[in-house]
Amino acid sequence: MSLPEKRNARILVFSTEKISDPAIDMAGLLKLHYPPTVYTIAVPCSSGIKPRWIIRAYEKGFDGVFIAADGSDCTYGETCTEKTGQIVSRTHQIMKEKKIDPARLRMAAICSVCSEAFVKQIKSFNQYLLQSLSTSS
Amino acid sequence: MNSKIGVYICHCGGNISDYVNVEEVKSAIADEEGVFLAKTTMFACSDATQKEMVEDIKTNELDGLVVASCSPKLHLVTFRAVAERAELNKYNYVHANIREQVSWAHSDDKAGATAKAIQLVKSAIAKVRLAHSLDPIVIPSKKAVAVIGAGVAGMRAAIELADMDCPVTLIEREHFVGGRVSQWDILFTTNQTGKELVTRLYDAIISRENITLLTGAEVVASSGSIGDYTLRVKTTPRYINEMCDPGNLQKAIDACPVEVPDEFNFNITARKAIYHNFPSEYPQYPVIDIKNCTRCGECEKICKSVDFSQEGKLVDIKVGSILMATGFDPYTPSDGEFGYGQFGNVITLPQFKRLVDINDATLKYRGQVIKNIAYIYCVGSRQIEGSESSTGEETRGDGNIASHDISGDNRYCSRYCCTSVIHAAIEASRKFHGLNNYHFTRGIRTYGKQELLYSESLKNGDIYLQSYEDDPPVVYLENGDTMVKINDIMTGRQEVSVKADLVVLVTGMVPRADNSVGSLFKIPKGRDNFFNEIHMKLRPVETVIDGITIAGACQGPKNITESVSSALSAATKSFSYVSKGELELEPIIAVIDGDLCSWCGLCAEACPFDAISMVTKGTKEIAGINNSICKGCGMCLPVCPVNAINLTAYSDRELESMIDALAEQMK
Amino acid sequence: MTEEKKKASYDALVIGGGIAGGEAALNMANNGFTVLLIEKDLSIGGKMIHLSKVFPTLDCSACITTPKVSEISRHPLITIYTGSEVRNINRLSDTLFEADIIKHPRYVTEEDCTGCQLCEQACPVVVSDQYQFGFVGRKAAYIPFSIASPRVAAIDIENCTLCGACEKACPTKCIDFTQQSIEYLVRVKTVIIATGFNLFDPLKIPRFGYGRYKNVITAMEMERQLAPTRPFNTVLRPGDGKVPDRLAYVLCTGSRDVTIGNPICSQICCMYSIKQAQLLMGALPMADVTIYYINIRSFGKGFEEFYDQAKGMGVNFVKGKIGLISEKENGNLILRYEDVNANTVKEAEHDLVILATGVVSNPDNASFFTNNSLKLDPFSFICQTDMLASPARTSIEGVFVAGTASGPMDIPDSILSAGAASSEAMSYIISKQ
Ligand SMILES: Cc1cc2nc3c(=O)[nH]c(=O)nc-3n(C[C@H](O)[C@H](O)[C@H](O)COP(=O)(O)OP(=O)(O)OC[C@H]3O[C@@H](n4cnc5c(N)ncnc54)[C@H](O)[C@@H]3O)c2cc1C
Ligand SMILES: Cc1cc2nc3c(=O)[nH]c(=O)nc-3n(C[C@H](O)[C@H](O)[C@H](O)COP(=O)(O)OP(=O)(O)OC[C@H]3O[C@@H](n4cnc5c(N)ncnc54)[C@H](O)[C@@H]3O)c2cc1C
Ligand code: SF4
Ligand code: SF4
Repeated sequence: MSLPEKRNARILVFSTEKISDPAIDMAGLLKLHYPPTVYTIAVPCSSGIKPRWIIRAYEKGFDGVFIAADGSDCTYGETCTEKTGQIVSRTHQIMKEKKIDPARLRMAAICSVCSEAFVKQIKSFNQYLLQSLSTSS
Repeated sequence: MNSKIGVYICHCGGNISDYVNVEEVKSAIADEEGVFLAKTTMFACSDATQKEMVEDIKTNELDGLVVASCSPKLHLVTFRAVAERAELNKYNYVHANIREQVSWAHSDDKAGATAKAIQLVKSAIAKVRLAHSLDPIVIPSKKAVAVIGAGVAGMRAAIELADMDCPVTLIEREHFVGGRVSQWDILFTTNQTGKELVTRLYDAIISRENITLLTGAEVVASSGSIGDYTLRVKTTPRYINEMCDPGNLQKAIDACPVEVPDEFNFNITARKAIYHNFPSEYPQYPVIDIKNCTRCGECEKICKSVDFSQEGKLVDIKVGSILMATGFDPYTPSDGEFGYGQFGNVITLPQFKRLVDINDATLKYRGQVIKNIAYIYCVGSRQIEGSESSTGEETRGDGNIASHDISGDNRYCSRYCCTSVIHAAIEASRKFHGLNNYHFTRGIRTYGKQELLYSESLKNGDIYLQSYEDDPPVVYLENGDTMVKINDIMTGRQEVSVKADLVVLVTGMVPRADNSVGSLFKIPKGRDNFFNEIHMKLRPVETVIDGITIAGACQGPKNITESVSSALSAATKSFSYVSKGELELEPIIAVIDGDLCSWCGLCAEACPFDAISMVTKGTKEIAGINNSICKGCGMCLPVCPVNAINLTAYSDRELESMIDALAEQMK
Repeated sequence: MTEEKKKASYDALVIGGGIAGGEAALNMANNGFTVLLIEKDLSIGGKMIHLSKVFPTLDCSACITTPKVSEISRHPLITIYTGSEVRNINRLSDTLFEADIIKHPRYVTEEDCTGCQLCEQACPVVVSDQYQFGFVGRKAAYIPFSIASPRVAAIDIENCTLCGACEKACPTKCIDFTQQSIEYLVRVKTVIIATGFNLFDPLKIPRFGYGRYKNVITAMEMERQLAPTRPFNTVLRPGDGKVPDRLAYVLCTGSRDVTIGNPICSQICCMYSIKQAQLLMGALPMADVTIYYINIRSFGKGFEEFYDQAKGMGVNFVKGKIGLISEKENGNLILRYEDVNANTVKEAEHDLVILATGVVSNPDNASFFTNNSLKLDPFSFICQTDMLASPARTSIEGVFVAGTASGPMDIPDSILSAGAASSEAMSYIISKQ
């Protein structure tokens, strides 16, 4: 499934409009580079992401999905972290059923100024995906 | 299905086009399904381009608009307005962020950046194809504002709102208003006193009928949202009835056997369990500090207005907007920091301000007459991240050396303190003759017109020394004397030491230790832990929480003028949320598919706002969404076992078509 | 000049369309008050619209100013006159002022101009471009600058030869050489003064050689070289167009200096110099940037961190006052300075020197009022008569001050000050009703 010339994994990021997307913006502002094969879709809150969207991404060719969660900063309530966690575990379940490596879905809380953390997470995720793709092929 | 879409790709004057080949993006998307016209532009946000877009939309009857430029956080509103001026419903416009998330993030890889921009624009086009018109939800907005904190910022904001004909509830946690300023005597730069200022503001407040002042009051719960907040306020009683005969009162205070450290004087003096701060503190009734009161009843015997039967109350208030003005705490040095808590004559600047105020003829501290004062600057501010605590290792005299750890989390400069300490030294010298002031600085920051105070102080003969950034001053004991030494920049690293009768640590401002009220409203904090504004440059008093503004030192260190300016700005913003009596809200809300839903109740459990309840549709029980409560977070979406819920503008179709567009080149 | 003065009335008159005046106007209009905004220049936006990026966020200044500016210019309750001045203001009664306003001719009918720039192409006259500090030229028929608002042409009548080329080129026939000044008599309930600041004139310090040495420039000039709408695509020294690689900043030029009569600190120049130094390190990765300072005043939210960041990037900070600047034959400059750390006088060679000129007051403020006197402070800024409790209040009831017209301030402080002025102006009107 991997292309030989490919240097970076294709990652879909779900960010949140008020919290993690500003951090991703700021990563750009600070010129903290990360692979350009990382695409972001912003949603209001990470606890509103449907597992079927994530599965869709794998089916269409994404190597990994990263949820940049609101964490404890969520403006919609403190249950956000827990609920986003539940979405991840439910999706992991579906992934196992579909024989997709569950490690291809990652989540981390990204606060609105966590740009460095975001870039670090994405880079390590990219490394992991590249490695697992090269061993699986 | 929108089929006449206009796409505008912005150069951003080079910010984008230096890294993304915008012409290539344009030609790559020009033939996408539904795209009617595609253009590049130098500044999409400029007036001229906006006009051009309006023209284009009108003449070509476009039904969709995509703008690919900077972050939507900057311009979503701008382009929504463009759509509306062209009579295109604003929800038929979709934004692609190709600056912060493309050109700047990938300035190291132009080909990669261009490829990413193409996919992002295509995904925006995919979304706009499915977009449709939506009307805003109009909700009533209660014309009333709650101001939390009655320091100068909160008091001034309350007066201003009242004068704009808007009812205000001013909620103060302490039993007295005025905040920190009531603790300062002579103020920079006008030489008015804190008492005068607080008296003026208090008089203005009680003379306005539309201000309700609650003291000893704290917000304990909050519900609702912009336009319609309900705050539950808990008040603690003073245990004193309104009228109080001053002569008797003093006797009652004298009779109280309990003594506790007086926080008003930063614990350099003690007070009784029945107390007032000083004669002009407001409201002018004393308070019984019930936590420390032993109920011995001595005061009650003397003063009839003591009333232990008073009880705390819970009141609910309804407001359309909330203005936070909870202020700051002075930094408390840790034990041993520059000898604090270790040597008897090391105090903080706030303590020094009180000391100067309460001493009359001679300046004394703990019975000792003070002549030589050493001021150590930036204590608790400008701390160097990760630096090791540099404890003075060498031993001298009787070997008593204080550590002088300047490593901590507060990297910011507290801005008020250079001016404040210089002013305090000038005023102390004016009041008590023969003082010698030695300033151990890290570079003086008397910005703006405050510089004049620094010049005055130099003229007075105050001595200024400056330490190297990695070599702070050391406080130590020598033959029983407290000494401060420094390797001085101004004299090219000469070691200078000064015998100090009093060491004043110029402590910075930190966020309130108990700022839980902020968490109650989920106001985000910045890296410095102060409440954070939406935009540091252009929107300094608004927060990401709709309807909540921040003012004064709770947003970051400020002097009085700056605090009051921000309070007045916040008052304007809060007023604009409530002045019209109604508000338009985004129609992005959850929508139930009544055919699929069979009411299991899981969504109602997931909703953090209680916006979902069971309704009947015909004979069927299904989930119903309360549109004015739903915030559109989407928490209910993933829990539905039959996938019966979609979020407007984030429906499965929209999201999946975006994912498909992004992944287009992948398989 | 037309005989009849045109008459109109508004709730508020705002003088000056910089960020402070704009914010104040917008605040009032958003709460339902009508505003007349008078701007002397051909575009609103003040100094901010010309800046490169802003400290400490490094947001692109044009990008955050333009939406504000277009919001102001589109607001139905705000009327803007550019190229206009207030001649005097008379108090008629307790709650009424009358202002005499003159709108200078632009020789272009604003409503009809589409900003197509064909006139610019047709015009044969080239003069130096004041908005780019003479780095490049412009025509006598010209659009002031690319993000100007309104973005319409103007004829620089002093340099125009009346050849008529522009008239022929204009597709909408909006060029009108018969235009004359128009006078207005406007009644308003309140006045906000937001006339901003001027920059210190470095010719007043001859020992720095500004004006004589081509490679001594001001920070505002550097600002233009770093802006996204910059004249060249890189940073060049004016002497010979070379890319500089040893740049020096001279802080406190014209500030904190009793010898030139300005003892106060300008509050923004430390920070804008640090900002420019960071941008230069990005634009010219091989260059050395040295900042000569007395004290670094990075006091605001996020400023100290920004200063640390500059140190981390390798900007060289030298504590020392500059005594004399002299020029070598190759155009390089020798700075003689007192190195405080080493306690000696030293010399250093640089190939471009940037003077961080300070903030001084705008002399226009002294002459607006006829039958009232507007009190100024010792530095001729507008005096804040109730500085602690009502910072926007002036010596005249109903007249408020916003932004740097009352003293040095950065952008966020100007915004807060404008918020205070608009707030007080609104409560003043409401409570007088
Ligand atoms: C030593 C020192 C000297 C100073 N001298 C000067 C000077 O001379 N001139 C000058 O311009 N500035 C001076 N300042 C700065 C000045 O004190 C501040 O600008 C000012 O106090 C800020 O006002 P504020 O209303 O924002 O905050 P505060 O004064 O802190 O007031 C906040 C108020 O909110 C209340 N509050 C907090 N939490 C809650 C809650 N949860 N619910 C309800 N109420 C709450 C507090 O009890 C308090 O009354 C000085 C500061 C210090 C430390
Ligand atoms: C080189 C430089 C770099 C800077 N960088 C930054 C930065 O990075 N970040 C930051 O926060 N700040 C920065 N600043 C400061 C910033 O420019 C000011 O804070 C801001 O411009 C002040 O806005 P203002 O509206 O008060 O004044 P101005 O911007 O001066 O606006 C005043 C307006 O009034 C008009 N006017 C003047 N007189 C009259 C009259 N008689 N009638 C009608 N109109 C009149 C003027 O034409 C102008 O449009 C910088 C300043 C300089 C010089
Ligand atoms: S204002 Fe002065 S004393 Fe206070 S933190 Fe800043 S530099 Fe230090
Ligand atoms: S801000 Fe800095 S450069 Fe400007 S006058 Fe003040 S100390 Fe000097």
